[in-house]
Amino acid sequence: MSSPQRSRLRAFAAKLRGFLRGHQPDPELSDEVQEHLQLLADRFVAQGMPREDAAAAARRQFGNATLMQRDRRELQTLLSIEALWQDLRYALRTLWRSRGFAVVSIATLGLGIGAATAIFSVIDNVLLEAFPYQGAERLVFPRIHGGQQSGEEGRQGYTAAEFLEFAENNHVFDGITATGEDLILYKTGEGTEQLYSAHVTPGAFEFFGMPALRGRVLEPNDYEPGAPPVFVLRYKTWMQWFGGDPSILNKTFVLNGIPRTLVGIMPPRFGWYDADVYIPEKLTRDAKAASSGPAANWFVVGRLKPGVSSQQAEADLTVIAQRLAKIYPQDYPAHFTVQIRKIGSTVVGRFEATLYTVLAAVALLLLIACSNVANLMLARATAREKEFALRAVLGAGRKRLVRLLMVESLVLAMAAATLGVLLAWGGLKALVAALPPDLIPAESVIGLNTRVLAVTLCVAALTALIFGLVPALQSSRRDLNDPLRDTGKGVSGGFRGRRLRDAVVVLEVALSLTLLIGAGLMMRSFVALREVHLGLRPDHVFQTLLSLPAERYKTTQQATGFFRPLLARLKALPGVEDAARSSALPPYNYAETNMEVAGETPDQDWRALFQNVSQEYFRVLRIEFKKGRAFTEADINDARKVAVVNEAFVRRYLPTKDPIGRRVRLTGLETSADPARDPWFEIVGVAADVTNQGLQVPIEPELWIPCTVTNSGPQVLIVRTSQDPATMMNVVRQTVWATDPGVALAYSGTLEDHVNERLYAGPRLGFLLMTIFGCIGLILVTVGVYSVLAYSTTLKTHEIGIRMALGAERADVLGMVVRTGLRLVAVGMAIGIAMGLVLGRIIGAQLVGVTAYDPATLAATSLLLAATSAVACWIPAGRAARVDPMVALRYQ
Amino acid sequence: MATETEHAHREIGAAAGTLDLMVLKTLYALGPLHGFGIARRIEQVSRDVLQLNEDTVYTPLLRLQQQGWIAAEWGASERNRKAKFYCTTKRGRKQLEAQTRNWERISGVIGRVLRLEAEE
Repeated sequence: MSSPQRSRLRAFAAKLRGFLRGHQPDPELSDEVQEHLQLLADRFVAQGMPREDAAAAARRQFGNATLMQRDRRELQTLLSIEALWQDLRYALRTLWRSRGFAVVSIATLGLGIGAATAIFSVIDNVLLEAFPYQGAERLVFPRIHGGQQSGEEGRQGYTAAEFLEFAENNHVFDGITATGEDLILYKTGEGTEQLYSAHVTPGAFEFFGMPALRGRVLEPNDYEPGAPPVFVLRYKTWMQWFGGDPSILNKTFVLNGIPRTLVGIMPPRFGWYDADVYIPEKLTRDAKAASSGPAANWFVVGRLKPGVSSQQAEADLTVIAQRLAKIYPQDYPAHFTVQIRKIGSTVVGRFEATLYTVLAAVALLLLIACSNVANLMLARATAREKEFALRAVLGAGRKRLVRLLMVESLVLAMAAATLGVLLAWGGLKALVAALPPDLIPAESVIGLNTRVLAVTLCVAALTALIFGLVPALQSSRRDLNDPLRDTGKGVSGGFRGRRLRDAVVVLEVALSLTLLIGAGLMMRSFVALREVHLGLRPDHVFQTLLSLPAERYKTTQQATGFFRPLLARLKALPGVEDAARSSALPPYNYAETNMEVAGETPDQDWRALFQNVSQEYFRVLRIEFKKGRAFTEADINDARKVAVVNEAFVRRYLPTKDPIGRRVRLTGLETSADPARDPWFEIVGVAADVTNQGLQVPIEPELWIPCTVTNSGPQVLIVRTSQDPATMMNVVRQTVWATDPGVALAYSGTLEDHVNERLYAGPRLGFLLMTIFGCIGLILVTVGVYSVLAYSTTLKTHEIGIRMALGAERADVLGMVVRTGLRLVAVGMAIGIAMGLVLGRIIGAQLVGVTAYDPATLAATSLLLAATSAVACWIPAGRAARVDPMVALRYQ
Repeated sequence: MATETEHAHREIGAAAGTLDLMVLKTLYALGPLHGFGIARRIEQVSRDVLQLNEDTVYTPLLRLQQQGWIAAEWGASERNRKAKFYCTTKRGRKQLEAQTRNWERISGVIGRVLRLEAEE
């Protein structure tokens, strides 16, 4: 380090010391000065001056002590508080005087900061800090990935023996735990409710490292055989089911027939495995000893030791798995490896890229907002040139001028940050409401937190630096004489500065048009999606998933014995038109089977979705028939082996033949939980296609069989009502419990709500985000075009004056300014359309019913942008046209 | 605004750096001195060419202290009262040497250039 640098550093250190110590008066100095004055006075007396004059003369000779003290103080502190206070008051006053400018700047920046804050909160809560567990960033789960399997496939469930092998023999984890899920039927006074339980292995809560909110977590004793059965409750469930009542602690609940004591309630962010209750379970290698809970499907999570890489961990675990593969060869595919993945990666994986893309777009928006405000400030600085010149002439140093302007910028930025936080707060609420289910981990709580606010504050300060510094430096750099001299401003704009400003406008227009095109496409796609016919009528339908206690409902006959009286009771209720039984909650179906059709020799595996339904099913959902018939009561009562297929089935497998009377064999049923012997079914009808895989994918071949043939799959109750189905909840529940109080209801609600949530929430989110950002972009473009034109016309006032003096008409001036602006807009729009086409390609997969280069969307968005820009051009142009040539020339 | 004008003159005036050097040199030559003593010395040496308010020595004194080139301690004045005495440090003496060399070099160059112009 060179010596001047070192000395500057020492000066800065001294300032910093003084600043940190806080400003305090310097009593030593005043002693020193007093003594100096005394000595000086004594000297004057010695030279013969009368004592009474000597003191005054000494003070005169000594000079201005206050000023000296200020100089010294400036050496000892970073900012002088009173100067800052002065600047602040001055900034507020000037901003108040130009309210229009302040409001536009704050609104522009606020939008940018708000959007950035909102998106950053989502990223922070979903990607950065999704899991509140100890060492969450090192939590991984292993997966057995076969050599033949594609990318993200592989087995994630392990037997107890496998888990113990991993737990005891690995060298890469400093903690490991296994979780198994189970359905819990929990008896209340009225009936039965359904909960999800996570069975956790010893040490699980130590592993997660979170203490209980009330009571205690599971302790080593709880896992021992013969220990009193206990469980721990999740916060969300506590709130939802017990209204946050603390007195339930230490009470006993009958869960799946076992009385268990509630020993603890977890804090809000604990949501491991999205379970409601946590039950201790000690795993042993002896399969028979495993008393309750999930049998052979344990999800294993380990925390990597610090410094252990994924590759090391995978290698270590693969060695263990290879040993296991020798003992259990049937459970391991050929050429397998163990892969590890971070927890949450499967949940947020799809979402991550989108989020970072959106963040990039938002950062760009913010940058553009900054350059807009910078342009506005430049325009204002030009108008304030005289003020600055006067200040400089009166002795304000350059540093002081820059500081003054920076304080103004900071005031603007902080006001904008406040606005931005408010916008983000509101925006997040809307966003959370619009998020499709299962998109984010159960532990994520999307909201503003201190870290997000700190980032916002930094961003705001940074924006102040970006938009404030350039104008501040530029206006303070000016030669003092320049504004006072009689030069025209037409030449002083600075060629490079103009290029930059023009480029910003072009970029803004391009980006905003891209976003608008994206929004337009998403909107059209959304509208088209809403018009896609689902194949069923979702209005006036109430549906619920029923959990029948497994011990009493093992066979098909037993289930039928429950449903037959239930359906009869429901149909007799006032307000109920009809009721049916099914094995899937429409509009989705996940049950798939291999199958063959008699007389056909397929060249590959034939697969179809299948559903067990009662005869009312097609009637209740208003599904049309294309051929043949629906099931009759006799079909169901006698458990006849008949089937109804959809049109997609016919199109794919029997395109040229009459499907009625053909026989199909559902091989999957032979091995299902309730196996059907000789599963040959005769096709009796063809139903219209009903959405069964979501809206963006084609409808899969599907067949329906009588629910009395097999009992496998979920039990779903579907009720068509003549009144608002949302009001039927209680009646249906009471009827179910009147039939069997041991049956629990889950996912109860109207089919319309279910469809909205499952089918439309995703596209609606995309459309909403795009529209919001498109609108912000449009606002920014308006401000951007306006500010650049306002600035350049201010610079050209002199030129305009000359032109008008030489005979130019108002219309000519107007045209000139508008042309300048629109030329930039046109260039931006050309780029924007190109970018919009690329964007359309990228989001093409999500578009339904509209092509990526939809001319109507392109035309409408371009027109919107052009019209908005024209308005933005008109205002400064109108002002320029009102220039009085005499005033302009004289003023210059 | 008047104060600002004066302030600007102090800031802009060439005296700032030069005054630091003069104070440093004075302390080096005459050993521990208080502010009054330094002012007397500068008055003497400059033979009234440099008319300065005596308070102007206190800012350089602080600056030099911050750089660690001078140190201060309390002592007794001529009137036997408490006064702060300043003296150069080792680092200050080294700095003085360097700055003196620098000053001589620059003034030499400027002097030569000015003579050159005068001859033409």
